[in-house]
Amino acid sequence: MNTLISGKHVFRILTFALFGMILFSSCEVEDYYVYGINDIEITPVNSEKDKAKTEAQYISILYTNLFQKAIGPNQMLEALKAIESIGDKQIAFDMLVSKYMNDPAVVLPTDESMRENPEQFVRDTYSRFYVRQPTEAELQWMINYIESRPALTTELVYFSFATSNEHFHY
Amino acid sequence: MKRRKFIASSTLASAGAITMPYVLPSGLLGAFTKPPISEYVVFVLFAGGVRQQESVLQRYLAEGQNEDVEGNIMYNMLAGAPPIDKIAYGQDDTVNDIIGGIPINPILQTPLDQLGTLFPEVRFSKGGAGHFSGLSTGVSGNYYSTQGLRQRPLSPTIFEYLRRYGGFKATDCWFVSVGITGSRPLLNYSAHADYGRPYGGNFIAPTVTFGTPGMKNYQDFKNYHPDTEWQTILEMREFLNQNFAQPGLEIAHLYNDVNEEDSIKEFVKSTFEKVENGSLILPPVNDNTDLKTVGYAVEVLNWFKPKLMVIDLSNIDVCHGDYTSYLKNLHRADHAVGFLWREIQRIPGMAGNTTMLVMPEHGRDLDHNPIKDDNDWYSYDHSGNNENVRRIFSLMVGPGIDGGLRVGSVDNPKGDASDIVPTIADLFGLKDIVASKGLLEPTARSLFDRM
Repeated sequence: MNTLISGKHVFRILTFALFGMILFSSCEVEDYYVYGINDIEITPVNSEKDKAKTEAQYISILYTNLFQKAIGPNQMLEALKAIESIGDKQIAFDMLVSKYMNDPAVVLPTDESMRENPEQFVRDTYSRFYVRQPTEAELQWMINYIESRPALTTELVYFSFATSNEHFHY
Repeated sequence: MKRRKFIASSTLASAGAITMPYVLPSGLLGAFTKPPISEYVVFVLFAGGVRQQESVLQRYLAEGQNEDVEGNIMYNMLAGAPPIDKIAYGQDDTVNDIIGGIPINPILQTPLDQLGTLFPEVRFSKGGAGHFSGLSTGVSGNYYSTQGLRQRPLSPTIFEYLRRYGGFKATDCWFVSVGITGSRPLLNYSAHADYGRPYGGNFIAPTVTFGTPGMKNYQDFKNYHPDTEWQTILEMREFLNQNFAQPGLEIAHLYNDVNEEDSIKEFVKSTFEKVENGSLILPPVNDNTDLKTVGYAVEVLNWFKPKLMVIDLSNIDVCHGDYTSYLKNLHRADHAVGFLWREIQRIPGMAGNTTMLVMPEHGRDLDHNPIKDDNDWYSYDHSGNNENVRRIFSLMVGPGIDGGLRVGSVDNPKGDASDIVPTIADLFGLKDIVASKGLLEPTARSLFDRM
């Protein structure tokens, strides 16, 4: 038996079908993700250095860095006494390093090598005195400093590193 | 009579202080501060362990060796005739082969006890009679029974009080030490959490700094040009230190500012030159470490004109095994103090404006030990259970201090080893604020309040 369906009915059926499709399709379950951020303390690269060297350690490492050989026991003893005789250790270290810099046996990179490849010089200097690589900011600052000061010598750079706070800690 | 005069003048000064509040360089103003009595103070720790018998009692060999010879071998500090027999405390008489046979000529025409006030019977009242313990009490005004070697004083030193409350610079405060042994380098600031290194005084052991260790490690150190090279170093170091700015993790500096640091380095350089060309200001006799140390101390006074200098001596301590050398060094310590006072009067600005305090750090035993020296004289230790080690003296001389005054006696002791810190605070107008911190020995008093 054939049933006559008017055009209005067809329109209604299609509308319901479309609504139903939309309805069913909207009921699909989707995973909902919430992303959280854990608090992380950002620390400087040198933050693990929280112990002061003993004066003997400091002198021993300093001497080795500047002369490329170990300090002798008698020389160490005299250096320790000299350091102990001055209350302000920054002044004592400044004078000690100044004295070493006056020694013709001190081993320093040439100024030319620093000028030729400042990045390598900075990296080597950080590695020698701080036993780490410089951060990008440190690297850029040092390179800019070297390049903007024609009179700067490797001696002054070494002096600054040798008498800085980080060099006294490990 | 003189004491009355002193009290009257003190009262007038106090009245003036009430009506005219004094503003200290630190900015403190009010009831805690008074006008300073003295512009400069030099405190000599007449250390090494001095027996009353050979010092203020002037008994020479009479009590120490049971020989009937008395006399004063400290005639720069004390009035009294020297011994006339068995002279062994002076310079060696090489012609007649007599050890110590030539007494050293006095430096001062008038002994210091006649120029100032002597407290002949002071007490080192607590704690063990060890050198570091005594020195620590001298600079901190406190006793600590647990105070050990290799440990900074547990309560603030006078340097810290003066820097914190008086606004003194680091180079205003100096500890000039006879050496670096016995933890002496720890006496320039305390381990107290509220004070410590930021308020410490400068320290130098000049016979080491300018002796062999210093010559090998400091002499002829390089002079960087201050405006170019040194400035560059400072800039780079500042950058490097900024990247290592962790609390407490710094080289143990004493907060000398840049100018003070430069001045100290220049002083070291200049003094090396003087050592080399023999132009140091040394006492006429300078054959022991105490005398050389006092010579260097005069160089420090001339260069920095510090508000406070503490000097410690120690050669007297040879008494553990050599009584003759003890007498010689006691005589030389007096020579050193006389020389120091004379030189202070030659320094423009300090002359007439400096108060000097002298006090042993502790005494010495009444009973000898078994060790005899070349003269067959017995030696003396400083033991824990001997009341004689608690007997010391104090001497102060300077502007406004009565001359020839003796305060206290054997039967009526006056003064304590812990009194020097409040006395120095008093001299700088800071007595009340220092006392108010409650970190002094409870019985400590300014010597002015003991009169």
